[in-house]
Amino acid sequence: MKFKSKKTNKEVEISTASLPDIVFLLLFFFMVSATIRPKEEMLEMKVPQAETIAKVERRELIRELNVGVPRNPAYGSEPRVSTITSFLDIEDVAQWALGEKETLPEALKDQMIVLIKADERVNMGLINDIQQELRKSNTRKVVYRTLEK
Amino acid sequence: MQSRHLKVESVNAGSMADIAFLLLIFFLVSTTILQEKGLMMQLPPKVEDRSVTPVNERNLFKILVNSQNQFLVQGEVKPDLTGLRKDVKAFVLNEGKDPNLSTSPRKAVVSLKTNRGTEYGYFIEVLDELKSAYYEIYGERVGLTAAEYRHLDLKNRTELQIYEKGKAGIPMNISIAEPDK
Repeated sequence: MKFKSKKTNKEVEISTASLPDIVFLLLFFFMVSATIRPKEEMLEMKVPQAETIAKVERRELIRELNVGVPRNPAYGSEPRVSTITSFLDIEDVAQWALGEKETLPEALKDQMIVLIKADERVNMGLINDIQQELRKSNTRKVVYRTLEK
Repeated sequence: MQSRHLKVESVNAGSMADIAFLLLIFFLVSTTILQEKGLMMQLPPKVEDRSVTPVNERNLFKILVNSQNQFLVQGEVKPDLTGLRKDVKAFVLNEGKDPNLSTSPRKAVVSLKTNRGTEYGYFIEVLDELKSAYYEIYGERVGLTAAEYRHLDLKNRTELQIYEKGKAGIPMNISIAEPDK
């Protein structure tokens, strides 16, 4: 028996013309939902876990502070504070917070939220110092970044 | 000569996907999605003169964590946090029955104090435990579990009502004590 028909001679191709559309869709999603990371992470951070996690509804109000031991030993072995771009001395945190407030629209300035992303082995002394600085600059909403348990 | 007019020349769009993939991979690698979940706290305002606000001793539930990460709950040394949630709930919902516990949920304050040497992870652990206790109270009042209560959708009006009902009259008074100088 021979199953030879005319069809087998013709090459059946799946159209790949819509593939770019799908990929572009993905691309746009990532472009919109992500912020560009300016540098490699400078600090060693193992974020603690918690159960009662709340989600911040307005993410444009969030400014991030990282606390941890620098990855590069050239910056010392003591825990340090950093913004997403650079190291910050503890005395400069209030100044930084005020500067960040300026980037928000007038009506939202008082609602700025500082997200503290800290390593779980960092001492509370440092965290307390940061909080004192934040209180000085009247940025009193704080979120401790935690992972879901 | 005649075929030129009949054939429709199409640009090959197959390589378009390659370009888009390249861009996609670039963005995947170079970006982090902002992580906006965590434990939310409101810091107290900065006051110059530290006038002491009188708080009735019985309305204060004191938790201390020292630099060896040991817990001192209401003056008792605790090896771990088992039972803390129950104690906090009993304290908040006392309504003046037990003379050692709070007079009313509205006045009850849970104070968490850490030493400079305490590890951050332990602080978060206690804070999480305290928040869970409150959420369990809220949940029980509306017949939900703590997890269900926390996942109520506040944009939905009926769920918002349940949320408000659970919270009503019991503020989450968790105070992070001023550190010692």
